Amino acid sequence: MTTVTLPQREEALARSVRGDATAFADLVQEHQSMVFSIAYHFLHDRGRAEEVAQDVFVRLYRHLDSIKSGDHLVFWLRKVACRRSIDEVRKLPKAPPTSLEDVAEPVAELPATDPLLSRGLQRMVASLTDDARAVIILRYQEELELADIAEILDIPVNTVKSRLQRSLEVLREKFHRWAGDV
Amino acid sequence: MTPFEEKLRNALRREAAPEGFAERVVARTRRETQPGAKAWWQFWAFVSARVFRWALAAAVVCVVIGGGLVQRHRQDRLRQEGELARVQVRQALHIASVKLNVTRKRVQEINREAPSSRL
Repeated sequence: MTTVTLPQREEALARSVRGDATAFADLVQEHQSMVFSIAYHFLHDRGRAEEVAQDVFVRLYRHLDSIKSGDHLVFWLRKVACRRSIDEVRKLPKAPPTSLEDVAEPVAELPATDPLLSRGLQRMVASLTDDARAVIILRYQEELELADIAEILDIPVNTVKSRLQRSLEVLREKFHRWAGDV
Repeated sequence: MTPFEEKLRNALRREAAPEGFAERVVARTRRETQPGAKAWWQFWAFVSARVFRWALAAAVVCVVIGGGLVQRHRQDRLRQEGELARVQVRQALHIASVKLNVTRKRVQEINREAPSSRL
């Protein structure tokens, strides 16, 4: 993966605004993983996540002239990806709450990057409410500060803080019940 | 960051987008921003817009109210025609009654005159 410097990013953005398709493709390539992952962690379905991520970039293409800078672009993409994912989740029929029995039992010591552990945690995150899920994804996938999350989700910082604490409590409890036998 | 949060961070790390994702996005933007497609998209955006839904609801309300008004106008006209017919019948009865009175008085006069003429 090539690292894109800030001036390169600004240049690609300026060229995209002028209608350069190659520059726009470069922008997509640079941010596709971020947008796709936000959608994927919301939806847990790669097909739907790709559809949502494509919608986000098509919408970006239509609004390119309102993007002021590279930082604004990242902020815009995160905001639209979250909103579009929440809309998509709300369109789905209500799934029954994930039972701990549905998550495979861990069979050995759980290292930090164990795929089984990750899948289990992803499903626990998926069982949270849409708003709580957005906070968790932006905090731990995007590693954002609470103030940045508040700005993206358009809610007060204290609400982000309380949602994060509550969600962590719920996840910890579920995780300990799930992994307690090891 | 606590060990649990570290686990969460690992579970939610970014996933690679599917192969060929950027190409598909660029192809879609080309397809959807062609003049015809753009017009269609704008039309669809208009159709699905809240304004259109409200306008549609208002049109339905107008049709229902308009239908009611037409029906009421029809009933008013029927009532007016009925009223006119009633007035005409009363007038006809009045004329007939006047004529009968005149005839009755004439018959009484004839009856009164008849005995004296016999003498």
